Amino acid sequence: MEAGGHHNFLKAHMEVFFLMNRLSISLVLFCVFISCSPGSPEAVIYVSEDQVFSEPVLKDFERETGIRVRALYDTEEAKGTGVMNRLIAEMKNPRADVYWANEPIRAIILKEKGVTAQYFSPQAEGIPFCFRDREGHWTGFSARARVFIADLEGTGPTSILDYANVEWKGRAVMANPLFGTTTVWVASLFSVWGDEKAKDFLSQIRANGVKISSSNGESTMLVTNGECAFGLVDSDDAANAVRSGKPVRMVVPDQTEGGLGCLVLPNAAVLVRNGPNRKNGERLIDYLLSPQTERQLAFANCAQIPLRDGVEAPPDVVDLRAIKLMEVDYEMVARKLGEIQPFLRAWKRN
Amino acid sequence: MEAKLNSEKLSLGIAVFFLAFLGLIPVLSVVANSFVADGNFSLDNYGGLLQSSREWRLLANSLLFALATTASTCLLGVPLGILLARTDLPLRRALTALFIVPLVIPPYILAIAWFYFLGGTGVLARLLGEDSGRLASRLLFGFPGAVFVMTSAYLPIVIVLTMTFLRTINPKLEESARLYAGWRMVLRKISLPMVAPGILLASVLVFVLTLGEFGVPMTLRFDVFSVESFIHISAFHDFNTGAAAAIPLVLIVLVMICLERKWMRGKMPSFELTQGQMLVVHLKKTKPFIMVGTFVLAFLLVLIPLAVLVSKSFVLETCRVAFLRSSGSIARSLLYAFAGASCLTMLGFFLGYLFQRKTSRFSMAVDSLALFLFALPGAVIGLGLMRFWNIRATGFVYGSAVIVIIGFIAKFSAVGSRVVTIAFSQVPDSMEEAARVAGGGWLRRIMKIWIPLMRKGLLGAWLVGFLFCLRDLDVTMMIYPPGGDTLPVHIFTIMANSPEEVIAAMCLIMVATALLPLGILGRVFRRMR
Repeated sequence: MEAGGHHNFLKAHMEVFFLMNRLSISLVLFCVFISCSPGSPEAVIYVSEDQVFSEPVLKDFERETGIRVRALYDTEEAKGTGVMNRLIAEMKNPRADVYWANEPIRAIILKEKGVTAQYFSPQAEGIPFCFRDREGHWTGFSARARVFIADLEGTGPTSILDYANVEWKGRAVMANPLFGTTTVWVASLFSVWGDEKAKDFLSQIRANGVKISSSNGESTMLVTNGECAFGLVDSDDAANAVRSGKPVRMVVPDQTEGGLGCLVLPNAAVLVRNGPNRKNGERLIDYLLSPQTERQLAFANCAQIPLRDGVEAPPDVVDLRAIKLMEVDYEMVARKLGEIQPFLRAWKRN
Repeated sequence: MEAKLNSEKLSLGIAVFFLAFLGLIPVLSVVANSFVADGNFSLDNYGGLLQSSREWRLLANSLLFALATTASTCLLGVPLGILLARTDLPLRRALTALFIVPLVIPPYILAIAWFYFLGGTGVLARLLGEDSGRLASRLLFGFPGAVFVMTSAYLPIVIVLTMTFLRTINPKLEESARLYAGWRMVLRKISLPMVAPGILLASVLVFVLTLGEFGVPMTLRFDVFSVESFIHISAFHDFNTGAAAAIPLVLIVLVMICLERKWMRGKMPSFELTQGQMLVVHLKKTKPFIMVGTFVLAFLLVLIPLAVLVSKSFVLETCRVAFLRSSGSIARSLLYAFAGASCLTMLGFFLGYLFQRKTSRFSMAVDSLALFLFALPGAVIGLGLMRFWNIRATGFVYGSAVIVIIGFIAKFSAVGSRVVTIAFSQVPDSMEEAARVAGGGWLRRIMKIWIPLMRKGLLGAWLVGFLFCLRDLDVTMMIYPPGGDTLPVHIFTIMANSPEEVIAAMCLIMVATALLPLGILGRVFRRMR
């Protein structure tokens, strides 16, 4: 009786094992079937803008047009697997129709690598020409500014030169200048100041004990948690922290007479060359560039800055027309970015 | 007979082919490209490597980081494994489950949880004052903090493998030894040498995983060499140099594996099936002290970060929001991990047979290949798979979830095969020989001998594979299809600007998602016993 029971028990386990394997094979086939089966019209978008803010926009597009959006989002902390790398690696057989870049420099690099296609959207009307590519490979919308997030003690920093000020020695943080918008900011300094002055400034920063975080998100966290007094981050990081009730404030740097001004980086909508659903991709780009999207992103917690005149925005959103902007040519910044990489690597090492 | 041998060789050959086809060939294309510059063979991509003293320092940091983490996990994990598997310590089952929890949380999230606790304005600073907070923060950011977080993340590997190997010791050996010696002597002379292969395997796994880790050291600002490959790929979009930068770490791992093999030669104990109950060590007077010590350790390593996450996500509404926002990712995580673990177990069965029975002179090479893939950064494997599968003919595979499962097989085949190898070592050769002599064919031997006798090992391999697939971030992030993210990927993508509470709630959901199958399999294991 016992032996029989044992035999049945073993048999049951063998059956479970094979059932499991049959199930896994079925699952694999099911996944292939799903991917091959014709379905509703779709657009594939790779997104560098934070998912929390971009996803609602894409959901609204789905609701309004009936076009299903399959999105692949970038991460802030794990940039090693960023969507830009995927776009470059997939260049010979593109999977995406649209790339939503969170700053224009990536779009320019992709243009140079031949990943992008030309598209002049009718919705781009009203967006200043300085935020558009002349050849139609990218079009800017809803910008972020590079601002300080600072604790509430004292007067706080007012200029990026405060990074080198002994008053803040060892108390400031900036994200790794090899990545993301921080690397664009550094490249902008090189293009505006020239190499010598920019290198000198970075040396002073280093000597002043500035902490280097892995991302703007981490810089924000370090300031909101009291590890550091201030850090240069994107305005969406700062606005999000302020709106969440953290004991911090947002400071737009270098607004004094003759000051450098604040760097503004618009999002960029890019059509991918030879993407699988070009028409749907174009409709998606039209939607991204619409005043409606700019308004939505202004009222979202990222508090992004509308590029057009007349788009409604909450009072705490930076007004482009009320601040002094850093005057940069994004194409030149993109070129500079490539040139200064060896220097930045060496700077980061020392 | 000839035909039977051929069917055995054929199935093993197919398994090796799968490993090579799914893992090696895509990766080789990336590694081969690292020797190409401007279309010609060149060592340019390697020219810049290890040229400066800083890079050597980073390499030394990586080695030190991996060695310190391996040493600390072994020093804590082996005694804990013995305590939890072989003593009369109260609440052993609950403690075992508790110690395993960090394995299902990506190490980066553990680092964040510790930051919330030990940061300048963290929980500790609020409880004990700013000075304590500053001191704790100084310790967290740097080498001690990074080793501590990684130790808590990988301690379960050592505990589980020690417990598993202890369960394979024939109690008769220990009973005989107990006639002449005390427990300490028996543990030192009989039990520990028998579990040495398990401890060594755990050490290799922890060492390899720590050596390739860059999320935790980067967050806690301890510079390591693995960041080099990351920088080349993500900052410069230079895939070839990125692949080249991964090679020094892979070489270190291969040296480790050679040392392991050399040490293990002739030392692998021949197991016999454990028939009776395991012997239990009675702790007697020391029980209260050991119990307190174990609870303190569980509190420090597991309960504090968990409590931080729970306290952050305490509101029911937060959990509801987190669940609704991640329900699709949870379902996909479970689906992918289920399929991945099943494929890994199946492949692991044949590879494990190959390694354990050494039916081919290439078995060592195949084992090394699996470990080579395990040691490679996920980004390099992902890149290889992307280049290999993203062509018109196979685009339907690349565009579906199948590519994620292929990624799991490529990256984690060593995990499945190594666990199954242990399971094979518990079944005496004589059983298969007897079945062979009696005319049992290969398939029949699998069905009637191996699977019934190895059911625990196979379920264990499935479980380990499931956990590794469920928590994977590196490979999945590179290749998941648009709209098909998993829970760890989802957590990482929304981490930057989502409320901390929602992130904490999602981390807890991640823990629950992993513990569910663990609980079910725990019941199955208990029934088997």
